[in-house]
Amino acid sequence: MEIQQRSLIQKRIGIMKTVAWFMILWLVLAYARVQLWKGREMQKLALAQAVKTRTTPAPRGLIFDRNANKLVDNRRALHLVIQFEDLPKDNRQLEPLAVALQMDPDQLKRRAVAIRQAAGNRMLVLQDNLDDSAVARAEVLRARFPFLSIEVAPRRVYLGEDLAGHALGYVGEVTPEELARDPGHYQLGEIIGRTGFEAARNDKLKGVDGQRRILVDYLGREVATYGEQEAKPGRSVYLTLDAGLQQTMKEAFGTTQGAGVVLDLRDGGILALYSSPSYDPNVFLNRLTQEQVGKYWDNPDRPMLNRVTQGRYPPGSTFKLLVAIAALEKGIITPATTFTCYGHKNFYGRDFRCDAVHGTLNLVQAIAQSCDIYFYELGARLDIDDIYNTAKKYGLTELTGIDLPHEAVSRVPSREWKQRVKKEKWYAGETISVAIGQGANSLTPIALARFYAMIATHGKLLTPHLLYGVRQENSNDIDLFTPPPPTDTGLSSAIWSTLDEGLYQVVHSGTAKASALPGVTIAGKTGTSQVTSFVDKAHYATLAKKLRDNALFAGYAPRENPQIAFAVVAENAGFGASSAAPIARKLNQYWFIDRLHKPLPPPGAKLPDAFRPEPELAGEDEPQR
Amino acid sequence: MRERLRFLDTRLLLPMILLVIMGTLTVYSAGRGTTQSSLWLKQTLWNALGFLALAAVAAVNPLRSFRSALPLYILGLLSLAAVLVAGHRIGGAQRWLVVGHLTWQPSELMKWLTLLFVTHRLGTRPLQEVSGWDLMGASTLVFFPMLLVLKQPDLGMAISFLPILLLIPLLKGLKAKWVIAGLLGIGLLGFVSWQKVLKPYQKQRVMTFLDPGADLQGKGYQINQSRIAIGSGGMFGQGFTSGSQTQLNFLPVKTTDFVFSVWAEERGFLGVLLALGLFGSVIMRILDTARVAKTSSETYFCVGAAGIIALHLLVNVGMVIGLLPNKGIVLPFFSAGGSSTLSYFLGLGVVMSVRYRAKMK
Repeated sequence: MEIQQRSLIQKRIGIMKTVAWFMILWLVLAYARVQLWKGREMQKLALAQAVKTRTTPAPRGLIFDRNANKLVDNRRALHLVIQFEDLPKDNRQLEPLAVALQMDPDQLKRRAVAIRQAAGNRMLVLQDNLDDSAVARAEVLRARFPFLSIEVAPRRVYLGEDLAGHALGYVGEVTPEELARDPGHYQLGEIIGRTGFEAARNDKLKGVDGQRRILVDYLGREVATYGEQEAKPGRSVYLTLDAGLQQTMKEAFGTTQGAGVVLDLRDGGILALYSSPSYDPNVFLNRLTQEQVGKYWDNPDRPMLNRVTQGRYPPGSTFKLLVAIAALEKGIITPATTFTCYGHKNFYGRDFRCDAVHGTLNLVQAIAQSCDIYFYELGARLDIDDIYNTAKKYGLTELTGIDLPHEAVSRVPSREWKQRVKKEKWYAGETISVAIGQGANSLTPIALARFYAMIATHGKLLTPHLLYGVRQENSNDIDLFTPPPPTDTGLSSAIWSTLDEGLYQVVHSGTAKASALPGVTIAGKTGTSQVTSFVDKAHYATLAKKLRDNALFAGYAPRENPQIAFAVVAENAGFGASSAAPIARKLNQYWFIDRLHKPLPPPGAKLPDAFRPEPELAGEDEPQR
Repeated sequence: MRERLRFLDTRLLLPMILLVIMGTLTVYSAGRGTTQSSLWLKQTLWNALGFLALAAVAAVNPLRSFRSALPLYILGLLSLAAVLVAGHRIGGAQRWLVVGHLTWQPSELMKWLTLLFVTHRLGTRPLQEVSGWDLMGASTLVFFPMLLVLKQPDLGMAISFLPILLLIPLLKGLKAKWVIAGLLGIGLLGFVSWQKVLKPYQKQRVMTFLDPGADLQGKGYQINQSRIAIGSGGMFGQGFTSGSQTQLNFLPVKTTDFVFSVWAEERGFLGVLLALGLFGSVIMRILDTARVAKTSSETYFCVGAAGIIALHLLVNVGMVIGLLPNKGIVLPFFSAGGSSTLSYFLGLGVVMSVRYRAKMK
């Protein structure tokens, strides 16, 4: 190679070396920028994706009956979720997922948007309560959709199934409407009581969710835990319910539709509350199938209605006690005043009938025999507003204050009510019907029970309630719930003793004689109320079953020293003495006799709890000595 | 002993050994807890094999290497053709020949064989007699294997053939009209390949490069995670086997394409400086060898070798930090892989033999 060419090549190689150094310098500067300039920022990003805060859902408080029988338990359940931080930024990524899960893509996207916009890091629950095969399927899905994860969360178990469905209610995820109505009170995705006691005392039962700082890998799998703030479980709650009495009531109703409630006269605690047909709250923890929606929500028998607090029934003859009080207080009659029943009588040009020809009766006899004529006479002498004001005085026009949501208010008509609702004036003839509990009268069973509890307690208006006490956080002691003190209505003892005698005679010698219980003096009043006046004979034929009379029985026991008050309504069951009173008799039978000898096993005893197996009954298998 | 091994150029060998050790440690750290946990051992074996091959090639007269350039080139072309016919297919690309447990990527070695053959052809002629036609012919010799590689498809590998063309400015200098013609050619090639040649995933990579933030969960995800890994290394690094991006698998393909991100995360900016400095000294030593080479062929070969290593360095190290598009291209001495390791050692063996012959006078 010639020298000249060689030096040219040498020069060009020299240039190449310079270029190479510049190239390396360029890389050095680029790395300096990212590692030194932006190092902090990148470290934050690295931490943000590797260190996650996960919410540990707090288990809700357990629910026991007054004898510490467990009614509601929690168990661990697995859910397929997308954690808040893992929600795909692009909603389109959710589409194949929705297809894989057979969900509606648009609905899934809407839920994702709602979660993203909400405060707090709530997860999006795609499938809850996975069983073994669903867990296996979910694991497969996670390979395709790494943003999925499987979360352990507590789940409610209603041990008694449909034993006390209406009293307990059930839980569910908070709805967007509830979030909007009460901002700041709930978190998105929170499990809250939807109805029943679960809803009424949601604040007591719900705990405080915990937080966990964990290290995750690129698939979101937990690698290590940094720190944990444990979830604070909700407080366990004792109800005033007696599971045995509740079970007795359930069995007594059987397939009969209706409602029954038993109050503890000491404080208004509810010993049993049953609405028939009942429902199993466990069903409502999952998304309902179309069939279940039809069975529960679109059923003309309305199983979701809590008939005790929301069912309004014409009280029939059980209302006569209030009319008697009104007449006695107005001085229209004395307990000794008699009227004569010929089986029917004309008032205001219309013929009103009685069930029988009772002859001449005083007030006690009229109550015992449930003579309509006697009370028609009172109705003819009373103004509707007198009846209304008496009902108001004795608590029949207000809410009872029971700790269940959406209680319906009872209705006793008045002039003002008719003007307001029907835009008509009151006709005196209507008062005749009201006097025997028909017409525009309608009472909830809980209000009726409270009225008879008022008589039993010589005029005290109790507040019916389900909450018995709350278990202390660190011990098994119970903080007892103090119900509001009873209101004294000032029922005079003279009037009281007449009513008491009348109610005693109903069961002793009157309409409910057949339901007398040896050993326990029941005081109560039967009632039979027409469901509705029928339009014509053809209409009656088609709706015959629906339109049969409702049977009622309300009262208290034992008469000498009242401990419980009760109200029972059996729908479309005919005469009160023949269908409602026997149910009440069974309740008394259990409460005063059977309970002390052979209490029923706790609810759900047949339902095994997989996570807390029952200890083996010691000694059962031991050889006999 | 020392006398016996005089053909080994210590000033080239030392930075190489350091880089290989650093690389194997990084592969160890990256493979921890994954299915590739024993990859570093395999890589160590390849490295040992590579050193033996290097020593063997360095000991022979480079002229003998050049003499077998043509049959080797033809053999290389045949192997590339074999890949297209009977190659092993992984993820939509057919780049590998599989014999028993051994997986071989012929394109890695083909780069060096092409370089050897082209420099051999150009070097046999006096410089002033090298015409434009000769250069065209040389370019064709480069483009032919490139096309076969593109067919696999392996764009990153095809691009790594291009440094061989550095010989043209070496011989003819950089003239404005050449630069303009080159730029126009690249522009035209880019347009045509965008329309006809590029696969959708390749287009996606280009789009991702132009706007990495647009698709964080998709293709841009890799670059984004790599940048986070590099950045969180800071000045001193997270420490060996302690990089969260690496150990928690946020970093993709971390034993091959993104191995340098692992190094940067765990060793920090200082580690990056050390690695780039060693790479720089390797390139400089090769170019110095080009200067002292006895024949033109030897000079050209060394310049081409420096070009190949520099290009891999630039594209890989630039790619993992997002300076350049996300190309599947390995980093010499760092990335795990038998074919590439062996090929680099063989190529550098030739460089050493050139220096040894030059020293002998």
